[in-house]
Order: sequence, then structure tokens, then C-alpha cells
Amino acid sequence: MNRFFTAMSRTAAAVAVSCALVATPVSAQTGTVTGTVTDAMSNSGIQSVQVYLVDTGLGTLTNASGRFLILNVPAGSYTLRAERLGYGTMDMQINVSANGTVAQDFALSSEALGLDEIVVTGTAGAARRREIGNTIAQVDVADIIEPPVSVDAMLQGRVAGMTVLNASGNAGSGARIRLRGNVSIAQSNQPIIYVDGVRMRSDAFDKNVPPTGYPGRSGNDVASPLNNINPADIERIEVIKGAAATTLYGTEAAAGVIQIFTKRGHQGQAQWTASIEQGFANMRPFGIDSSIRNDVSAAGGTTDYMFIDPWLRNAWQQRYSLSVGGGGEDLQYFVSGAMEDDDGVLPNDNEQKQTIRGNFTFTPADNLQLQWNTSFTNDEFTNTAAGNNAHGLTLNVYRRTANYFGNEERENLDLLLGQTIQTQIDHLITGGTATYSPFSNFTNRLSVGYDLAQQNNRNLRPFGFVRAPNGILSDGRSEFETLTFDYVGTLNFGLGSNINSSLSFGGQSVTTEIQRTTAYGEDFPGPGDPTVTTAGTKLGFEQRERVVNAGFFIQDVLDFSNKYFITLGARVDGNSAFGQDFGLQFYPKASASWVVSDEDFWGDMGQLKLRAAWGQSGRAPGAFDAVRTYDGVGWGGSPAFYPRVQGNAELGPERTAEIEFGFDGSFFSDRLAVDFTYYNQTTSDALFAVRQAPSSGFIDLNGGNSQLENVGEIKNSGIEISLNGAVMQGDNWAWDLGASLSTNSSEVGLPGEVPEFSVGGNGWIIDGQPVPVIRGEMVMNPDALAEPVIEDDQIYGPNLPTTIFGLNSTITLPAGLRFSARGEYQGGHYVTAGVAHNAVRRSVVWAGCNEVYNIAGEAPITATSPGRDQLTALQRAKCDPSLSDSNFWAEKADFFKLREVTLQAPLPDDLFPGASGSTLTVSGRNLFRWTNDEWTHFDPEMGGNNDNNPISRDGAQPGSFLVTSISEHIPAPAIWTVSLRVVF
Amino acid sequence: MILMTMKRVKQNATRVMALGLLVGVSACDTDVVNPGPITADFLDDPASQAAIVNGVGRALSDALNWTAYTSAAIAREVHPSGSTGSFGITPEQQRGELNDDEIGTQWSNAHRARFLASDGIDRILGLDAADQDSDQLAQLYLWAGYTSRLLGEQFCQAVYDGGAAEANSDSHLTAAIAYFDQAESLGSGDIATAAAAGRAAANVMLGNWAAAVADAGAIPAGFSFDMPYYDLGDDTQANRIYVAGKAEPYKAHSQIFTWIEQYNPETGGVADTDPRVSWEVSGENGDAASSCCGVIAWNPQTKYTSDDAGIELSSYEEMQLILAENEIMNNNDIPAGMAIINALRTAAGVGTETAATQAEAMTFLKREHAIEMWLEGRRLPAMRRWYVNNTPGDLQTLEEIGDGDVSTGSHLTTRHYCFPISEAEQDTNQNISAADVVRIIDGA
Repeated sequence: MNRFFTAMSRTAAAVAVSCALVATPVSAQTGTVTGTVTDAMSNSGIQSVQVYLVDTGLGTLTNASGRFLILNVPAGSYTLRAERLGYGTMDMQINVSANGTVAQDFALSSEALGLDEIVVTGTAGAARRREIGNTIAQVDVADIIEPPVSVDAMLQGRVAGMTVLNASGNAGSGARIRLRGNVSIAQSNQPIIYVDGVRMRSDAFDKNVPPTGYPGRSGNDVASPLNNINPADIERIEVIKGAAATTLYGTEAAAGVIQIFTKRGHQGQAQWTASIEQGFANMRPFGIDSSIRNDVSAAGGTTDYMFIDPWLRNAWQQRYSLSVGGGGEDLQYFVSGAMEDDDGVLPNDNEQKQTIRGNFTFTPADNLQLQWNTSFTNDEFTNTAAGNNAHGLTLNVYRRTANYFGNEERENLDLLLGQTIQTQIDHLITGGTATYSPFSNFTNRLSVGYDLAQQNNRNLRPFGFVRAPNGILSDGRSEFETLTFDYVGTLNFGLGSNINSSLSFGGQSVTTEIQRTTAYGEDFPGPGDPTVTTAGTKLGFEQRERVVNAGFFIQDVLDFSNKYFITLGARVDGNSAFGQDFGLQFYPKASASWVVSDEDFWGDMGQLKLRAAWGQSGRAPGAFDAVRTYDGVGWGGSPAFYPRVQGNAELGPERTAEIEFGFDGSFFSDRLAVDFTYYNQTTSDALFAVRQAPSSGFIDLNGGNSQLENVGEIKNSGIEISLNGAVMQGDNWAWDLGASLSTNSSEVGLPGEVPEFSVGGNGWIIDGQPVPVIRGEMVMNPDALAEPVIEDDQIYGPNLPTTIFGLNSTITLPAGLRFSARGEYQGGHYVTAGVAHNAVRRSVVWAGCNEVYNIAGEAPITATSPGRDQLTALQRAKCDPSLSDSNFWAEKADFFKLREVTLQAPLPDDLFPGASGSTLTVSGRNLFRWTNDEWTHFDPEMGGNNDNNPISRDGAQPGSFLVTSISEHIPAPAIWTVSLRVVF
Repeated sequence: MILMTMKRVKQNATRVMALGLLVGVSACDTDVVNPGPITADFLDDPASQAAIVNGVGRALSDALNWTAYTSAAIAREVHPSGSTGSFGITPEQQRGELNDDEIGTQWSNAHRARFLASDGIDRILGLDAADQDSDQLAQLYLWAGYTSRLLGEQFCQAVYDGGAAEANSDSHLTAAIAYFDQAESLGSGDIATAAAAGRAAANVMLGNWAAAVADAGAIPAGFSFDMPYYDLGDDTQANRIYVAGKAEPYKAHSQIFTWIEQYNPETGGVADTDPRVSWEVSGENGDAASSCCGVIAWNPQTKYTSDDAGIELSSYEEMQLILAENEIMNNNDIPAGMAIINALRTAAGVGTETAATQAEAMTFLKREHAIEMWLEGRRLPAMRRWYVNNTPGDLQTLEEIGDGDVSTGSHLTTRHYCFPISEAEQDTNQNISAADVVRIIDGA
């Protein structure tokens, strides 16, 4: 309980201090305005509707029941407005008398399409949705009733064309995000991320691993900067998915852009929101049904959990948040604080995170607005050594008696828990935007942003540690800085009757700096909590890297009769990582949209917008890729040179060109919204790490001898369909159903002189095949009762899902009850369970072979096993240690997961004195998983040892971040939570 | 007053925006110099000579580390004890195979050392004569010689800079001799002696016995020249055979089921009757279950007992064995050959042997070779030479291919005598196809 009180007090103190300077003025001779905002169709209350008195600065937000209350309204006549994303705005005229109360309800009609909603991502300044020729996915957080545990989780299954891949069930684990597949083989495929216009680091943080020795003495997972954003602070997220939409972001944005908009203060009195969430994480079975073969480990582990169940726990998780928003006409504020303390299911796993945010909007004049947003996150997590790690708990448990102890006694394996893997991340994101409109048709916007993340990794195997008796300590500090300057000017003018032009121009500079310093020591004099200074052997490591990307753009939107829109634009970019013979880059774009439903002939058939867009974007090479360099590697304490990068003076960015077209529509009186997009993108001059012949000898410290070259192509194409419908509606109840389908087909184009190459995890880059494709040895007679016929270099299939189908449903019941469920299918891909092969080839009695052992009559099987004749060729190949190859464990990875199930209930009004509303929400995540019959064990979404960065630590195999393969990890657990949210 | 204030705010906002634009434009200077990596032209500075030579030394130590360990498993100097990943021995290598998809690191490391040596020599010779450091150059030639000797001894074929595959690896040995000549000429003391000893070994591989004997006979008693390794907290600079078997956590090889276990049996858990092939009983099991025989006892070698244990590149004893083999095989003087062998044994404190025939003598010589150069990356090349030349004399029983029953043979099911051209080389070198790859396999 100490942790509970500590958390509560920290959260409350943080917000209270932040709010000390903020006060809402109170007037005499005032009245009160109150009412309820409901959905016009279902009559159910709508939360988070902004209700305000126009031109007064007075207003509030509705609570979960749709109720609102505005106090201290000076007597007089007003326009009372209610507005919220996804609904049509409604105005009502009211008269307020001194000491009187005006009751005014609203029944808002939903706008499934929202053609006049403002979006900003991918546009030069703000634009109405009707003007835009590309698709923009939008996640409106107010529509999500499930209390999101992270931004990763919030996005999972909510955006067509987006894949969110969790690596493991470790504390602090961050996901990989892919939009429309992989657009690059050598560079990051993580979309770039903006928060309120400020560019933040999008690639994963560093893995907490010592800088020397085997690069897996770790929990072998990485954290995502995205999860440093408090989900409760987010108002909406916009996602643009490809080069057709990201041109204006230039040489960084080929993999897409995610822009997060955090909550802003509203006009009116302060509204406080407090929430408390308690829950626990619990591992669901991911192994082999224990009824198949009686096999219990010496520690009591079962095959259901691959014998790790004695170490798994029901992990307490708790989150607290408090926020306040409000303000006057000139100044609005939103201040929040949040704290979470989550145990993981593995014994050493815990994450503690504190976040504080202040968002301020100052409007000193009608034509000038200043916004300043700042958030700070302190994230500390500890991990259990896991993954493909001989010092790790999971590997040694999975390997059973063939582990590094030679037995599976609990008291021996518990010794591995003596390793401390502690990560601390302090993350500041701050930035301001000034919007100045000297003339009614001319707007200037200048944004300055600064993102600073400091990571402190402590990885200690203490003196006496079972596998490093003299002790090993690595203390690493990493600093990631991103500085953004962004200017946009927009001039609107007419070109005749019904033709308007919106000309935008501007420039952007993004400077990223990474500094890593690690002190490493081993051989400590004795027990105790050491520092590197006390080590007998000490090593130091440092890495510094600065990349500047800067560019200018111009864009013009031509508006014909507010129905036809043509956008033309271009960006010119320079980047410090380009080769010296490489100049500026030019990225053009063009798009068009036609609001068909505004035509006279359309009649009353709903709304429809046709759209098409084409554009180019890019990805820059790494900071050191263009220049021929050597490394100072040292040898026995003396200086020594080793090859590093061969260099390529002509190195430039890869260029992705994309065309997409489709339509947005709403039909049946806005009860069905449809969004369809076809996309086709080609990355030319693709940066491939072209392997050189090893006999040339230019081979780096880690055995790599590839050189980035602008060769080849990567193609991605597919469709995205989103359907959201109000299936049934009645008084006080409704059933909403949503579905999305996205497909991705990718293909590599390799010139003849470039050899195909491996990217690890059985993933390969091969001409004419997906990016990446699983290839290797294959059993050609898998079902025959015979010895396997094995052929090499056989194609299994793509490693990334080719089909993703999402389904979500919300049922609104009387008394404000809401029930939602969300599931996702991913399929068409292959994933290798390297964990199985690693064990089988060491003759481990592997639960994944239990059926085979039953038939064979012994475990492990041998050439003379009594029942060998009854085994299929594939069974023999997978489970016979003398035959096993990791490719034989490449399995079809189709799965469906029930991502979440949530029930939300409003609580009685008088339960909390002074509260305007409260809700209780019960939610479960990852409760059910279906996999196809071929899938044997573990979770198809699990990852390997590799982290999400293209190069996280020297030694990473080029492209290894591309491949999903299963290492000695645990999957993401199920999480049950109960959340209480109170609005004052 | 309010109007004035607003006007000032606007003015200030305009100024801020202008300033921001200015800063933004200045930030567009994309000319960045990052610290850390060393540009290639820096290596042409005279001050870089020591680091160039050290780089070659480290590269050679890497190459020797990997080839010595893997070849020790193939030659059954050690027995695999289960681990197949890091510091492990793959199931195929456990059986005696050196497959082209599993020896990429060995191939790459050796060719990196060759490139760095060749490139380094060119760079130093490209300096003004007054700037050339002759001591460094002599050391560099010596490393270059040992690198080429390693390539010639351990690899089946020579390939240079993405070119065609040669029929064998003899050109590396020829290059080694030329490098050793230069090292001997420029160097003095141990450098010069080591160059002569290295040259002797290369000449033996080429069958140039007269030259080999001339060099070998000149090497003084007690001479030993090691490849240094280091205990710096960096496994890549440490003795790999030791690291793979020091139980932190790897216990990847054992002396159980090796002929050494029989030749040098343990007493009280320690086997040091012949201290040159010492090992001990740990009471623990190996890393994992090996494919031949499940979990086996981990009885580690004790020749190398620390990270910084050096591996001998040349020695007086090796030279004596060259002389002995020359006596037995070329001069058919068995007593002379056995006298040399027995002198080595006496020096080691173990009993002498007698042989009546050339084959018997060569059996003893082959065993003595295994003892003297145990775990030095020299056994498999010697086996290759004897196999290719059909040299009389037997290997020890547990060195031979067996039927899995260690009372009558070994767990080896085959033996590859040299490292083939790696799969990565075949994939990336357009001058090489699979048909060009030569393998030397016992019985094939």
C-alpha cells in the first residue's frame, strides 16, 4: 500500500503545484447554465463535448453522461454552442438572469464523414477534410471507453494499414509500428511522430545491454518514446500513411507520420478530472496443452507455459491521473499529472512512470495566438534477463536440463534473478507555436520544438553472480535531442468567381543529436553495490552523431466552388547524411478531391468525396554511411584500426513515390461511414546494404561488410477499407459496429549485380519476393511417413502480415452503460520460432514436440526411435536434433486476438460530493488468441532479441530490425483493470 | 493603453517570427562533422603506423581465435559438449563437417586480416622513407606472414578481392614465405626468428622440405612466439577456446571422449601427467545435450587458464617436429626421428617411445605433433597434409572417424580437412559458382 499512497500523493502534488498559478475569475450578478448533450439518434449522453458561451470565455466540457454545468455566467443574452469532433456543431440562444438557472439540452447529430473538420497532418497549415486528396486516419480518444495503458495499445487495431507489433511481455516493452509495410530495408520503418507540432524521437530507445561481449545480456527488449505520452492527455491522433501524403515532411517521412494532439484548455471554469486504475497482468497459456504428454519440470513448470509458470506472477498494476482544464477568452490551460506503477509478470519486472503536462493557449489579440505545450516523463523500469541470453531466466527455463546449469532446479535458476537491469528515461517535449494573421487572408505560423530524452541504463551482474563470479557492470547514458523549427505562411486569395487559392510556403529544419557514453567494468573486489570505478577492469565507450535535415516547401490548393480541389506542392531538402557528391532533393506532390455529394444530382444519398493523391518522400542514409571510415578499436590497450564503412560519395536518400485513391462516404442518414483507399508505392534508389565479397577484406569489427547503395526497388500496394456503422439504435441504447480491412503486398526489386541477402531470423531480401521473405531449408515431403527430403533456398512466404482485419463494437445500454469489444486478425505471413530450434538442436526434450515424442516412443527422438516410422517427414525434421533447422519452425502465423473487452458504467451523481459525474470501467486486454492449426506455440506477435532500430548497437545485422522471429521471450500478458474516473 | 499593448505584442510577435525564421534558415546548414569514425586518409599519416600494425595484429588474432577453436572440434582436440550458439559448436561441426554456411566468420576474419596487412604495407611503403618506422614495418610483415600461413593452412582455396577461386590455397603459403622474408630482413631478435620459423611451417605445407629444414634447424631451443590475447573485459580480444569453456556461462567443449583423456588420464580430478595436454574433472555437465550423446561431463582443458593466454604461432618444438618428420619420411632415418621426438618428451617429463618402422614412427610423430601443438589451430592442417600426401602412420583412435561407440572409435561421422569458400563469398562473388568450391573430405 505504500506504493499506492506514494503514487497518489505524487500525482496530486504535481498537478496542484502546476495549477497554483491558474485561477478562474468569478463575477457577481451571475446565473447558471446547465443541461445535457445527447446523441440525436440514440439519446445517450455524449462526453467531452465543448459547451461554451460564444465570445465570453465561459464554457465547460460534458461529463460521461453528457451533462454540463456553467457557473457564474453574467446576466445577459448569449449564444450557447456545443461542438465535438464527429458531431455537427449546434448553437442555441439563451438568456441568463442574475441568480437564475438556464436549462438547455442539445441533441447533436453525428457526422460520420465530417467534411468540414479541420485536419493538419500532411497539410501546409490546417485544411478542411474535404480539400484533402489523401486519406487521413483519425483516432478520437473521446470515443475510446477502454482506459488505454499506452499509446501503443491505443493505436493497436484502430488504424487500417497500421501494424503494431509488441516484442514481448516485459515491463517497459515498446511496439514496432508499420504503416503499409516496410518502405525501407536499410533505414527505419518507424513512422515519424509529432506531438502538437513538435517532432519527437520515434525510433526505439537503446536496449539496456553492456557495450561489449554478447549483445544479449539484457531483458532484450526496448522502450518506445511513443509511450512517454500519457494516453489520458491525448485528444486525438492523426495518421498519414505514405509518401502521397507526407511529401511536405521531406527526407524523413516515407514511412508515414503520426501526429498526436494533446488536450487543450477550454473556455470556462476549471474542470478537474481524476482517475484511479487498479488491475493486474496475468499470463495466458502460450505453450503446449499439458494433457498431451505428462511432463512437469523439477521446478513444477508445465508445458502450458513452457515450464516458466513457477516464475510467473499475477502482477499488480496501478495508474493515477489528475488533470484540470479551463481558462478565459484569452488564456486557456490544461495541466495534468499521471503516475503508474506496474509490476510485470516476470519476477524482476516493474515499471514506474510519472508524467506531467502543461498546455497553454494565449490569445493576446484577435489575430495572434500563442501556444506552449510542455510535457515531462520520468520512466523507470526493471527487467528480468530474458530473450536469447545464456544468463537469462527464460532461456535457461526453456532449455530445461540442457540449460547452462544442467538441471532445472528452481534454486539454481533463481540465481539468475540476481542480475539488475534497470532503465531510467527522462523525456522532455516542449514547444511553442505562434500563429499570426496580419491580414484576414494571410496567416503565419512559427513553431519551435525541442525533444530531449535522456536514458540511463544500469546493467549489473554483481560479484558472486552465478555466471559472472567476479561481477560485470555497465552504466550507460544516452541522450537523444531533436530540435525543430517550422514556419508556414498561408495566403488565401480569389482567382475569380468560385475559384479560390490557398498558397502556402515555408521551411523546416530538424536537427537530431545522439550521444551515448557507457562505462563498463568487471572484476569487482567483493560484494556490495559497485560502481565502475571499483572494477578491476574498466572500459569506456562513446558515440556522438548529429544529423541536420532542412528544407523548404510551397503548396497551392485551388478550390473550385468548394467542391473540387486541386493541390500542387513540392519540397526541396538537404541532409547532412547525403554524400558529398549529392545535392538537394526535390519531392513533388499533387492531389485532388471532389465532393460528389455537393453536386445537385446527388440528392439526399448522404455524403461522398472522391480523392486521389500522388507524392514523393524519402529516407536519408545514416550519419556515417557516405564516407569511407575506419574504427579505432584498440588491441591490448594500444591503438588499432579496423575497417568500418566503405563509403559512397554518391549516397543519397531513397525516394518513395506513392499514388493512392479512394473515397470517403457516409450513407443512410450518416449511419454508415465508409473509407476506401487503394495505394501503390515504389521506393526507388532504395538504400540496400549491399554485401561485398568477404575476400575483399573490408570487414568491420562485427563481421559486417555491407555498403549502403542506392540500388533496387521496394514496392508496396494494397487496399484499406474502414466501415463504421450504427447498426441499431433506439431510445437509450445503440449498437455501433466498425470493421477495417487492409492488405499489403510487397516486392523487392534487386538488380542482377546485387546479391540477395539475409536479414536474420530466416528473413531474406530477394528479387521479386516480399520485404522480407522467409526462406531456407524446407521439407519437400512434409506429410509422408518417410525420412525428410530437404531442399535449400525454398520460399515460405512474407514475414509481415498481408491481411489485417479489425472488428470493433460498442453497445450503449440504458442507464449509460457501455460495452465495447475489439479484435484483430492478422494473417498471410510466416514467423520462425527460433526458440524451438535453439532447444531441439541441443537435444532438449521440447514440449513443442510432445505429440511427436508420443508417437516416437521416446524423447528426444533418434534415428532408432521405436515409432519413427509413424512420424511424418516434417515431424522428424522438426524434432530430431540431428536434422533440426530453424526454417522447419517457420510456421504460418495467422492469428486473431481479442484486443480488449470493456464495460463502462456511470456512477450515481451523489456518490462523490461536488462531482459532476463519474464512471467505473472494467476492462480486459489480450484475453483470447486464436492461431491456425499449423502454429505450434508462443505468440506470433512476439519478437526476437533485436530491437527496433536499424542500428542500435554496433553489431546489429543490417536489416535485422525488419524481421519478426521468436526468441526466448514471453508473450504480452492479459491485463485486467478497474478504472474509476471522476469529473469535478 | 490596451491598443498600445496589443501593438507591442504584435510587433514582438513579428520580431520573434522573423528571428525564428532566421534561426531556422541558419539551421539549414547541413554541413556536419561527426566525431568518432576515422576517415581513410588519416591512415596515411606517419603517426598512424602503430595503429595500422596493431589493427593487423588484432585481425590475425581474431582469425586465429575462430579457426583454432572450430578446427579443434573437427580434429577432435576437444569434444563438443552441447552449446551450439555463441562460442558453441554446431551439430554439423560436432559430426566433423565444415559447411560453407557455417564458416562465414572464419572466412571473413582471415580475409580481413589479409586485407589489412596488404593495405597497411602499401600505406607504410607509401610514406616518405624517413617517416617509415622499420620496426613497425617488420612487425607488420610478420603478421602478414602468419595471416597468409593461416589462410594457406586452414582454407581449401585462395580467393583474392572478389576474384576467381584458385585450385588450392598454395598461393597464400607462397605469399607467407615472401612476407616472412621481409620480416626477417627488416626485423631482429624474436621477430626475425619467428619469421624464419613461420616460413619453415609454410614450406612444409608446400612440400619444400629442404627450405623448411634449413629454417627449422636454425631456431634455438626455448624459442616460442605467441599470438597475444588480452583480459580487458572484451571477449573478442580474449582467448576464444578459454572463453568458450570457462563456465561464464559457456562449457562448450570437454576432454571426455577425446584421445587425450585416454593418453593423459586423470588422477584425483587432475590430468597433468603430460603437462602439455592437461585437463581436469569439473564434476559438472556440459552446456547442453550434444547431438551425439546427450548431456556429457564437462572436463575442461587447462592449457589455457585465462582470457589472456597466448596461442603459440611458432616454437622450437614445432621446428624439432619438422626435423623429425624430415628424418623419418625423407631420410628414412627412424632412430634420428625418434630421438628428436623422445628429446621433446623427456623435456616434458614423460616417457620415451620406440618405433621399428616408418609407419610406427610417424604414428608417434603425429601424436607428438598433436600434443605439442594442442589447441593452436595447427592440428587440422597437419591432418590435411598427411591425408592428401597419404603419409604413413595412424592418428589416435578417437581422432579418427568412428561409429559412435567410443570404445572402438569416435563420434565423428566424417572429417572435412579444410575450411571451404564461405557461402557469403559464393553469394557475393560473381567470379565463383558452387561448382568452383573445393572440399577435402575424408574418404570422399
